Amino acid sequence: MDPFFIWLETSALSVWVRESPSVFAFPIILACHTVGMGFLAGMNAAIALRLLGFAPGVPLAAARRVFPVLWAGFWLNAVSGVVLLIGYPTKALTNPVFYFKLLCVALGLVVQTVIRRRLLEDEQSDVPFWGKMFACASLAVWTAVIFSGRFLAYTYVKLTTT
Amino acid sequence: MALFQIWLVKTLFSVKIVSTFMHSAWGWPICESVHFVGLSLLVGMIATFDLRLLGLAKGVSIAALHKLVPWGVFGYALNVITGAMFLVTEPNQYIYNPAFQFKITFMAIAGLNILVFYGVLFGRLKHARPNEDTPRGAKAVAIVSLSVWIGVIVCGRLLTFYRPGDCELKDAGFIATCIPHVPRGTR
Repeated sequence: MDPFFIWLETSALSVWVRESPSVFAFPIILACHTVGMGFLAGMNAAIALRLLGFAPGVPLAAARRVFPVLWAGFWLNAVSGVVLLIGYPTKALTNPVFYFKLLCVALGLVVQTVIRRRLLEDEQSDVPFWGKMFACASLAVWTAVIFSGRFLAYTYVKLTTT
Repeated sequence: MALFQIWLVKTLFSVKIVSTFMHSAWGWPICESVHFVGLSLLVGMIATFDLRLLGLAKGVSIAALHKLVPWGVFGYALNVITGAMFLVTEPNQYIYNPAFQFKITFMAIAGLNILVFYGVLFGRLKHARPNEDTPRGAKAVAIVSLSVWIGVIVCGRLLTFYRPGDCELKDAGFIATCIPHVPRGTR
């Protein structure tokens, strides 16, 4: 992996993300990642809480309307996440916590898709027991994504190759 | 103002139990993670509500959707607690930090905006029919809310990039954005 890390770390984009003194490099990219997190995890939480029975007056099918915003949050974070990864490839890719985070994101997307397709599709108003379990799973998984993301800053073994 | 900031830092430093926990191995990271979870709850509920006020998901009754707002308040409470824990542990790093000063300003605007919403608008909106369009005032409140909460998040995330350095009190200015050196024997 070392030659790959060296190649990535010496690329112009990586050096810019890591070393530019501009607030629009690392700091703003990181801030975007946090805003996207708020929208992605937060709107998933809003849907989960509706499924758990809070706000019963909101039609389940109407919860689909937040998906464009939720996806905007996801894509903002996918892009800013990749850019942050290009800035510090060694730091993330040599840390097991990073792979745990990616696994949790994948799980979160699966849970989110099942909820959307199986629970928000028709005009039903009752949420089956398994649906409430999926809502709990959604809350737990996105919380795990947030914790593992934050812990990346404290658990890395190597910052850069040099 | 700078003298008030010095007094504030001194007072905050005196809360020792919290800082002992925060300096333990995982104290700080755990609080940060909880702060981020709280942020997500706050944004998730409030932004959803704001977007309804702006006309997305028309057909959903405002009163029904408002039942999610207490969860946003819960997220906010988590963040007030964890935020206070950061503050009493490293008051210097916040009170003199321009990013923190902007963050507090945005939070104050958000607070006033909430007062306007509940004081002037919500009384009528909670009886509105699900398909009813919201008045212009409600849309303005929603836009202010969305913008300032995003501002709060951005400023919060930028804190670490604007850590204040040291300076002399006489150079500190009206609102100090550096840690003023206080000569011994004076306040």
